[in-house]
Amino acid sequence: MSTINRRDFVKLTSAATALGALSFPFAGHGAAKAKAKVVVVGGGFAGATAAKYAKMYNKDLDVTLIEASKEYISCPLSNEVLSGERDMKSLTIGYGALGKHGIKVVNDEVTEIDTEKKSVKTKGGKSLPYDYLVVAPGVAFKWGALAGYDEAAAEVFPHAWKAGPQTLLLRKQIEGIKDGGLVVIVAPPNPYRCPPGPYERAAQIAYYLKHHGKAKCKILILDPKDKFSKQGLFMAGWKARYGDMVEWKSGAEGGKVESIDAKGKVIKAEFDEYKPDVASVIPPQKAGAIAEKAGLTDDKGWCPVDQATFESKKAKDVFVIGDAAVAGALPKSAYAASSEAKVAASVIAARSLGVPVPKPAYTNTCYSLIAPDYAVSVAGVYKLNAEGAIVDVEGAGGVSPADASGQAGAREAVYAISWFRNIMADTFG
Amino acid sequence: MHNKKLTAALAVGALLASGSALGGVSDGAVVSNTCAGCHGTNGASVGPAPIIGGQPEMYVASAMATYKDGTRYGTIMNRIAKGYDPGQLLDMGKFFAAQPWVSGKQTVDAKLAEKGKGLHTANGCAGCHGANGTSTTPTTPRLTGQYVEYLVFQMQDFKDGNKPIPAAAMVMRSMLASLSDDDIKALAHFYAGAK
Repeated sequence: MSTINRRDFVKLTSAATALGALSFPFAGHGAAKAKAKVVVVGGGFAGATAAKYAKMYNKDLDVTLIEASKEYISCPLSNEVLSGERDMKSLTIGYGALGKHGIKVVNDEVTEIDTEKKSVKTKGGKSLPYDYLVVAPGVAFKWGALAGYDEAAAEVFPHAWKAGPQTLLLRKQIEGIKDGGLVVIVAPPNPYRCPPGPYERAAQIAYYLKHHGKAKCKILILDPKDKFSKQGLFMAGWKARYGDMVEWKSGAEGGKVESIDAKGKVIKAEFDEYKPDVASVIPPQKAGAIAEKAGLTDDKGWCPVDQATFESKKAKDVFVIGDAAVAGALPKSAYAASSEAKVAASVIAARSLGVPVPKPAYTNTCYSLIAPDYAVSVAGVYKLNAEGAIVDVEGAGGVSPADASGQAGAREAVYAISWFRNIMADTFG
Repeated sequence: MHNKKLTAALAVGALLASGSALGGVSDGAVVSNTCAGCHGTNGASVGPAPIIGGQPEMYVASAMATYKDGTRYGTIMNRIAKGYDPGQLLDMGKFFAAQPWVSGKQTVDAKLAEKGKGLHTANGCAGCHGANGTSTTPTTPRLTGQYVEYLVFQMQDFKDGNKPIPAAAMVMRSMLASLSDDDIKALAHFYAGAK
């Protein structure tokens, strides 16, 4: 090999350039920087996991988590507050442990994101520059999208879709209902946070009513959809434990709600009007407000991302994860949020270290409690397809076997609680 | 391992497994960290789902392979294991074997544990699972410090003739045949509380 042709030369020189970039990682724009500044907006399952795993993958990263609330209240298992099987305290966790991982936790609210200058501003007057930004704002409600359902109406018909005072309000209303009363749950259109949530809520309310001398009550789910998550398992579970107490009305059967009159306590569906004693109205949803304000959303109100990395399609070095992101086949669940966070964290760490970005891996597991001793689950394992979309791995995942009422359902109830303990520890511990 | 198909599958996997499953930002770490939501950060479950961090490499990989091919009974694991190729299962084995074992924080019944210790000795469990259940065999799981609920479920499943069982665990079915539910509970309390 005494002569070098042009093609070899080009190869050699580009190899030399690549080597140069590796040897002098602080030299150029976009180059690796092990101590890069990572700012995480939002401290739910997605945001807190991203902060923790970014540090685990590269301990030199300078990670700041900004969250308005001092404590996090888990939405998963919050339906058990409605049955009286669980208190709010058991769902609540602080951010103290994240500090032990070297993460700076700032108790403040992000009011502005400048994706050009790469900095965020907070209500408290702080301005934080970033090399990488993680945006995990969860969902916001589309107030008024369901005619008559606004924030004031939610005080009459609680959504209880963000665990907290709304959960307790709904619990109090359920406790006050007389035997023979009507409970209506208005399920939201797709996509929304926690696809099986409205149906687990029906089971948990039924559990309370059945065990408190109110077995003649009726729970009616009004749904704009014609099918829902774990449908067969829920229907079998409702029947097995609560007889005919729970009824589901699909969109095709007139389940689509047209308007809400909170003052008159009337819910008007396509075919019929209902006057519930208690109603939980779960409104249509979109990405959390800061995502929209920062220009990270599409015309439907959600955040499009490169599904291999969760980097926003709207801004470089900005990663959107959790319920706010459009993540292919991944549902808007806590486990999926955690899984997305770990992928984004691995990408940020790899880029900061100047090493190859690892192959993404995505998983979801989600349990729903029919009763304290009876749970059903859905699991999913996902991959990127050739078009860069997150799709199911064929043959994997799916729901619990149909005969879930016996030993398997009881074990899944044990593992549902175990899931909660472990995901809380993995996220906030 | 007695299961030839499984051995072959994992041998193919060994060729595919990424070289850097341990630590750092690697394919192996990324795929293994998807387990943490149920099995705890680095596999150190806070219970009662089983602790997998610190289990032997080949035990973790073969447990996943048998969940995948349906020869091991599980509630959710069969559905999940089907999502991974043999290389990824071996990466998980490498990753979790490299993690420290963190025994579960739980209260055990001293009386039951004492009875369990007797059964452990009388049945020669140490032959495979080591003294007090602290396995030193590559394909045998550690039991010491594992969660009571999980140990009970697993022994019930191995004993239950209506459930599938991995070829390598067939010996467990005969070992457990003569043990009652109370015996199983006693063994679980012994291992959970053992050091």
